[in-house]
Amino acid sequence: MITLNEILELVSFGLRLCAPFVALLVVVLCFMSLSYGRRDEHALIALDDDDRNIRYPVLFWENSIGRSRGSDIRINDLTVSRDHAVLLRRSDGWFIADTDSKAGVYVNGEKTEGRVPVHIGDRIAIGTSVLTLSRADAQSDSKRRRVRDKKTVSCKLILVFLTVYILMIGIEAVINMGNYAVLMPTVGFILTSWVFYIITRAVFKRKSFELESLALLLSGSGIVLCASHDQHQALVQLAAMILGIGIFCFMLWFIEIPDRVMKWRLAISILALLLLAATLVLGKNLNGAKNWIIIGPFSVQPSEFAKIAYIFVGASTLDQLQTKKNFFGFIIVTALCLGMLFLMSDFGTAVIFFVTFLLISFMRSGDFKTIILAVSAAALGVLVILTIKPYIADRFAVWGHVWEYANEDGYQQVRSLIYSASGGLFGMGISKGYLQYVFAHESDLVFALASEEMGLILAVLFALIIGGFMIYARTVTTRSRSTFYSIAACTAGGMLVFQAALNIFGVTDILPLTGVTLPFVSYGGSSMAACWGLLAFIKSADERTYSHKKIKPKKIRKKEPAVTVVKTQDNDFIEI
Amino acid sequence: MRKIQNRSMLILLLTLAFFAGIVYHITNLSIHASEWASMPINGHIADTTGLDHAGTIYDRNGVILAQSVNGKRIYNEDETTRRACLHVVGDDSINISTAVQTAYRSELGSYNIVFGLGLPESLKKGSDLTLTIDSKMQKAAYEALGSNRGAVVVYNYKTGEILCLASTPAYDPENVPDDIETNDEYEGAYINRCVSATYPPGSTFKLVTAAAALNNVKEAENSTYDCQGSAEIGGKEVTCYEISGLVDMKQAMCESCNLYFGQYAVNLGKDAMTRQAEAMGFNKNITYDGIETAKSVYNVKNATTNDLAWSGVGQYTVLESPLNMAMISASIANGGKAYEPYILKTNPNPLKFEGHKTKTMLDSKTASMLYEMMDYTAANNYGKSSFSDTLDVCAKTGTAEVDEGGAHAWVTGFCKDEEHPLAFAVIVEHGDSGYRAAVPVAASVLAAVA
Repeated sequence: MITLNEILELVSFGLRLCAPFVALLVVVLCFMSLSYGRRDEHALIALDDDDRNIRYPVLFWENSIGRSRGSDIRINDLTVSRDHAVLLRRSDGWFIADTDSKAGVYVNGEKTEGRVPVHIGDRIAIGTSVLTLSRADAQSDSKRRRVRDKKTVSCKLILVFLTVYILMIGIEAVINMGNYAVLMPTVGFILTSWVFYIITRAVFKRKSFELESLALLLSGSGIVLCASHDQHQALVQLAAMILGIGIFCFMLWFIEIPDRVMKWRLAISILALLLLAATLVLGKNLNGAKNWIIIGPFSVQPSEFAKIAYIFVGASTLDQLQTKKNFFGFIIVTALCLGMLFLMSDFGTAVIFFVTFLLISFMRSGDFKTIILAVSAAALGVLVILTIKPYIADRFAVWGHVWEYANEDGYQQVRSLIYSASGGLFGMGISKGYLQYVFAHESDLVFALASEEMGLILAVLFALIIGGFMIYARTVTTRSRSTFYSIAACTAGGMLVFQAALNIFGVTDILPLTGVTLPFVSYGGSSMAACWGLLAFIKSADERTYSHKKIKPKKIRKKEPAVTVVKTQDNDFIEI
Repeated sequence: MRKIQNRSMLILLLTLAFFAGIVYHITNLSIHASEWASMPINGHIADTTGLDHAGTIYDRNGVILAQSVNGKRIYNEDETTRRACLHVVGDDSINISTAVQTAYRSELGSYNIVFGLGLPESLKKGSDLTLTIDSKMQKAAYEALGSNRGAVVVYNYKTGEILCLASTPAYDPENVPDDIETNDEYEGAYINRCVSATYPPGSTFKLVTAAAALNNVKEAENSTYDCQGSAEIGGKEVTCYEISGLVDMKQAMCESCNLYFGQYAVNLGKDAMTRQAEAMGFNKNITYDGIETAKSVYNVKNATTNDLAWSGVGQYTVLESPLNMAMISASIANGGKAYEPYILKTNPNPLKFEGHKTKTMLDSKTASMLYEMMDYTAANNYGKSSFSDTLDVCAKTGTAEVDEGGAHAWVTGFCKDEEHPLAFAVIVEHGDSGYRAAVPVAASVLAAVA
């Protein structure tokens, strides 16, 4: 005779079997939609060298002009500097900026300084080459149409599936626990995600919602998992997610105009340093690192937000990149940040900052020598620190030998591996695990907790989504509206992946356990909010994010006809 | 922009490294999952409920050794068989680490690679295990050991199948005595002495010394020694039980002359002796179906000349596990190649358990000479009928002196029989004489075969 308990257990098992596939469907649909909605890269305008009879198509929003290999517009002329000028597109037309070239840039015979607007028909003299700005051929129209004909995936449908998935794991948790503790956070999460979607469509008029859906999937899974062990924590986590979405929206607005960001850079870098300095002065020591500020009932980890500010400082538009080479200021900010993190003994974050520094400096300069120099300097620094404070090395002593220290320093890793193995592909069931009795299960060990209770498929899917952010950030590099977005997106993605790697491989004993969070999934309000902030960088790199911003046709037609080309491009693009 | 795109390749590499790490973790997990899930510290199985739905354990003839009925673990109906098989099968707890119910808890339980331990109760079904063990032989060994502490290993030298791994003292897994932790009678009852204990091998180690001599010295079998019962080697005395006179190797083996083999160990030197011992399983980890056994030890690094002589006759600090000793006899019986022993008749997890391999301990010429010596020794010293009337047994006994209590009694050997290719090792702790204490146990066990 089958009892009610047995039936409920079978239902819970059934939900457990289906949930990973619904989540997988959401992920597949999101990435399909991201690849469908892409504009093909055709020239918008072109530069004609009538003397030599060469046509240079202008493919990007920001184009470097110069003699060096790898220039977007490469002019083989010895009077042209290696990085001579930048031709860039902004919402109010095209501009050319001389980037400290020897011979200078002349527009219609006049020597230019800094950034000046250019129009169709203008003659731009670069060295001995004279280039005429002209419209690109209409030949790519047919191609473009084909792109537009491609099917799209409705973002609403994606969100429906996401809701189904969250409901499935929520109901499973309710059955397993025999109470309704997870109900409030789950329902709260679903409401939040729909409100977020409606606001995105109605207020911001953005059509794409894929990245947000993926981040919601991660956040929602984390919240339900958290709710099954501590309802209060889950509500805090939900509040942090709402705050994070707020930061996400604000940042998308703020970085829409890259030149505005460049103006605010000094202020932002001071803010980053102040955040860390405040932590140093006011910080409380929790779990070995002095990186918390406690304000009333809230405890905040300012270093998480400093990560966002740090990317602002590092990323740059192409003309600034080519002229100022303000690498020095960036290095000073980096050194100050790392120094303060070491004083807080927050080594996990320090490592993340350092890797971010490497990523940004490589993206900016493409120089391997700098990277090798920085890495060797860091290695030397680590050696010095280990000589002064040898106990830090003890942390890494168990790395690779966790089974020999199963009840000492390898306790967490050994439990994580055992319980990951117990969970199989579909898990023991939410709240049915044993890892929940191990310290830091909801943050540092969350990957193993997910493996145990939700199964390996979902846990790996979480990791793949974070890796997917990174790959996506890379594929949109040349389609972004400025190198600022490209650099910021790649770095933010790299930061998320690196942090995920430290978390996942730390717990599985592939790397030493450093105690950083798994982006979006781990419990931790500051981390959750900051991850949404980082996501804004990736989102902003996709030009579709801002494609709804039509330049009002009348106003511009009066001003200069050249821009109408731009406008039609944009209009085309919106319909995709 | 293009430069930035090129540089972003670095970031792509980082992501690929991340994915590679994930793949590595998945691979690692799929290889070790069942091992990790069956760890005693796993909360999901550590309590006895881990066996509630476990599969049935059969011996080689289909006799049920343990099964789960209505969520309860029950064992063989015969109490003596239950006690005799205790160390092979295990009890509800995980105290006997080498027992099947401990080592293969996840395989026996409802663990599988797809669902882990996550199947709902109503769908849980453990998988059955059939062992190579013969419960009749197990029972005979247990009864023959009686109140002595000791161990009996029997395994098939043509295949590697373990037929008997009996160890005393034992208890009834269905009625675990309350005073098991305090009563001296049960001291060491959680240890399977066949595989988890090592003892000084005494004269049985002469097989190793003889092998070293045959491998390193030309016509070593013909070299002679004039035994006068005792002699000084390295400034101190080495003694024999009797005065053998002028003996060659075969006769020295038969009469178990300490001086002959002690002198040989010294002549061969530390390196040659260590090399031979290690070829025959010393200082190595021996496992059977993934179960770890205690390591046999031959370490003469700090030995004096006299110590080296004593090490050649299995004294000094030499230690050997009964399983290792049975493997040495098996290799002699099988032309120098010992099959790695195994206990699972069916392989429940091909990822975890590899196929059965052989290990070359001796070259075939050396093996055949030792074969002849053991044959001669059994016939002329112990008498073949001391072992069996029907089976033709070759053997070597040992009486290993220990610091406290009577000497440990050993016998190891094999049947020449094609139908019963069995190698065995018996130890009776403090049995005083290999011939008087260990040989009768071997005889009783072999009687259960024939």
